[in-house]
Amino acid sequence: MSSEGHARIVRGDPSTYPDWFKARKSSKPLIVSRWVPIILVGLPVLVLLAIVIYPTIWMFYHSLRDTNITGLFTGNHASVGFENYGTVLGSERFHDSLWHLALYLFFGACLQVMVGTVLALILYEYVKSNLARAVVLVLLVLPMMLPPSIVGTLWRFLLTPSNGAINQALLNLGIIESHIEWFNAGISLWSIIIADIWNWTALPLLIVFSGRVSLPPAVYEAARVDGAGQWKVLRRITLPMLKEVIAIAFILRFTDAFKFVDLVYVMTSGGPAQSSELPTYIAFQRGIREFAIGEAAAYAIIIFAIAAIIVTLFLKYMKRVMKAQGLA
Amino acid sequence: MARLVVEGLCKGWDFPVIDELSFEVEEGEFFVVVGPSGIGKTTLLRLIAGLETAQRGRILLGERDVTRLPPYRRRVAMTFESYALYPHLTVFENIASPLRARKLERGAIEERVKAVTKLLRIDHLLQRRPGEVSGGQKQRTALGRTLVADPEAFLLDEPISHLDAKIRHELRMQFHRLEDLRKVATVYVTHDYAEALSLGDRIGVMGNGGRLVQVGSARELFERPKALFVAEHLGQPTINVIHSNLVEEDGQLFARAEAGSFRLPLSEAQARRLKDARDGRIVVGLRPQHVRPADEAEPGGLEMEARIDIFEALGSSGIMITRAGGIQLTGLTHPERHFEPGQPVRLAIANEALHLFDANSGLSLLEEP
Amino acid sequence: MAASAQIAGSGAEAGASRRWRLVRSLFLVFLALWLLFTLFPLYFMAITAFKSAAETNLTVPTFWPQEWFPENFVGVFAEPTNFSALVDSFIIATGNTLLALLLGSLAGYAFARFPRQAGGENLAFWILSNRMFPPVAILVPMFFLFDNTPWGTDSHLSLIILYLVFNLPLATWLMMVFFRDVPRELEEAAYLDGWRPLRAFIKVTLPLVLPGMISVAMLCWIFAWNEYLFANLFVGTNVRTYTIVIPTFTHGSQTLWNLQMAFSLIAMIPPVVLFIVLRRYMVRGLSLGVVKG
Repeated sequence: MSSEGHARIVRGDPSTYPDWFKARKSSKPLIVSRWVPIILVGLPVLVLLAIVIYPTIWMFYHSLRDTNITGLFTGNHASVGFENYGTVLGSERFHDSLWHLALYLFFGACLQVMVGTVLALILYEYVKSNLARAVVLVLLVLPMMLPPSIVGTLWRFLLTPSNGAINQALLNLGIIESHIEWFNAGISLWSIIIADIWNWTALPLLIVFSGRVSLPPAVYEAARVDGAGQWKVLRRITLPMLKEVIAIAFILRFTDAFKFVDLVYVMTSGGPAQSSELPTYIAFQRGIREFAIGEAAAYAIIIFAIAAIIVTLFLKYMKRVMKAQGLA
Repeated sequence: MARLVVEGLCKGWDFPVIDELSFEVEEGEFFVVVGPSGIGKTTLLRLIAGLETAQRGRILLGERDVTRLPPYRRRVAMTFESYALYPHLTVFENIASPLRARKLERGAIEERVKAVTKLLRIDHLLQRRPGEVSGGQKQRTALGRTLVADPEAFLLDEPISHLDAKIRHELRMQFHRLEDLRKVATVYVTHDYAEALSLGDRIGVMGNGGRLVQVGSARELFERPKALFVAEHLGQPTINVIHSNLVEEDGQLFARAEAGSFRLPLSEAQARRLKDARDGRIVVGLRPQHVRPADEAEPGGLEMEARIDIFEALGSSGIMITRAGGIQLTGLTHPERHFEPGQPVRLAIANEALHLFDANSGLSLLEEP
Repeated sequence: MAASAQIAGSGAEAGASRRWRLVRSLFLVFLALWLLFTLFPLYFMAITAFKSAAETNLTVPTFWPQEWFPENFVGVFAEPTNFSALVDSFIIATGNTLLALLLGSLAGYAFARFPRQAGGENLAFWILSNRMFPPVAILVPMFFLFDNTPWGTDSHLSLIILYLVFNLPLATWLMMVFFRDVPRELEEAAYLDGWRPLRAFIKVTLPLVLPGMISVAMLCWIFAWNEYLFANLFVGTNVRTYTIVIPTFTHGSQTLWNLQMAFSLIAMIPPVVLFIVLRRYMVRGLSLGVVKG
């Protein structure tokens, strides 16, 4: 029943909508304040797209062909359908590398995020002086300032089995009795993982620390008044509020781990005997070194697909978790 | 100095918000748009300001048709509900902004800003940043920014709703006194009806249909509401709303409450208007001012028995909530009376001051639409 | 209150606080160990930079230089092009950062203010997906492309453009978040004051988004400065970045670790200095960008 004295417009009930509304042009009259700037701003977006879309299309195209390096330059390549994909998915070398990748991701990305979070919270809770915090933070972040190629070089140097500093130090401390052959098959992958942890743990640390710094203090004061213990505060307040931040740190590390081949390239060249190869490295090898460009493109797409699927699943899971929490 | 005319304004996104809304504001008139939160008042202001594009309709400012002009060419000034002060600039620079846009020279700017801030009593804050001043001072800075711009129309969006009661009152008084405001057409938006009644030369009540349900002076709206919506929202305590059926007894027409045995006799004049009422159902509006204890009123009027439910002594009057004939009636009493819950009381009802509304449309049956 | 706590607290509460002190010590020990883990390689890197080539290759490595060779830091520039490599890196990093910042700001602004026209949520995923592409997917097509351009592959410009592949999505995403943080109403108020859109942007939006821009610039610069793979493949003669110079410090088949370390230390200075100076912006930028993004 209307109390206003004319045909009532009911939200959600289109039958009550007036005619002008049904006939309206969809947001066209944007003349009022600005429409030229929209074009202006759209321009860099196009540039962005061009730089990224072109390689993507190129890749998709060549993954379906038998391109090699000479073929590329002479334009001589033929379509082979999904043969490249078949080669990749069926190759044992690829399967091995997937296993290496799984190890790398778990002990690399996951561990880094966990350790980084723990360190960030420790730094926040137990190092209270601003000066100390600044100093410790800078020191912890230093490894991130080095390019992965130099990190790889450094750790190759440190882990030299015969006269590397690490082995010597471990010997001196009595932890081991003879040199560890860091670059033998089976261990070389772990050497890479150690170097990666050293290089990148600072990133989730920095991100989580920044997140922790920006949490509202009011919640903590209320908890203190309620007499909540430290463990409870951590579990019920800090971690839930940091969930999103940790998730982002995880995604960043995860996606980077898929991409970075610098460490493999510099430290082990995937060896010995392909025992420390990662899928991206194989793609690199096949494409740049062995010139099987079509196959390399297929590698790239498969790797991307795997990463995309995992990340999407993770995001969906995160969305569900956030919804259940009410984003609080 | 110009007259603001809004004609047939239409605007909607996923659903229509403003539907063929029209009104006029004379030069120097203080026009208040009042209505519940979320109904589209801010949208209306933004349309007049140029921050939203109207899908139909026209906006005229003086001689100019500004409907298609961008906001920086319309020469209107607006205060935002959130003040929208530039946080990185000082109070002085915030207020000077419109003058700088117009490329006034330095001396003139300084003079104008100082004059306005003196008027608003914030001249001691010129070098502070918005983050360093109180809510009331922020509001006055925002107001200063609009005053200094010397626009052809002022648009004020709930300027004092976020301030505490005492400051709100103070600023309300200031609005009354600001002459600059009184020289230009002003549209003031609020959800507070008391504010609207106090400040407005004329008031437009905005309802859910995206239109102004009624436009008029405070007195007109109060005494001659055109729709139940208007009558319900204006007036403290809220008007008594009685859904009734028309019954005839011994040649006399009564409005009998649907919910109980309560009935009101209707006069000949009222009965004449009710010929148009369909299926014998109407809505009766009875203001608490017209419901008094019988011993406070002139004898000889309509009286009936009731029982007190709740009594509030408010200092300026007493509010009694009673039950009579099965329905709840709110009435007013002398400030010094006192009643207990459950106490019986005899009420005097001024039934010549009834408001009668159509049960379906809510339109007043006594007023012209 | 204190008295009753002492009486009641001798049992569980004292135990609890003792437990917490133990936990606290454990955590600090963990932090200290991690610091050790972090700093030891850097320490060794630093002392190696001061060692002679002979000492570096001893079968039993030393943890303190027997002799100090600060000449290493001069020796790395014996080959004069090594210094120009640092300059080249600087040019490329700075050029790329400016370009990424400019384009990223424009695009970020578009996404912040006109989300509907610009793609909305799809944007986030698209930006993320850029990070998931293996580099070879970009390398080969871009190499092919640049080979056919006037500036060729072996030039500053090729890397400046190429690095946009990872810096531009990052800059766009972060700038979008920072622009979102500037309330639209501020710009609208400026319009009503009489400012035209461009002037309103410069007067109101830009100053407020500047700290964010700084943190974005720093991030992009460091990523560009530290890039190795693309540089290795694209440039080498006309242009060299310091990252591809490092592996050249060899003497025959022997790696001159001391020189490599010395050069690395030198190259590490700009990003470290940048971080120390701008870390506040970094933290604020990350917390805004990550927490609210």
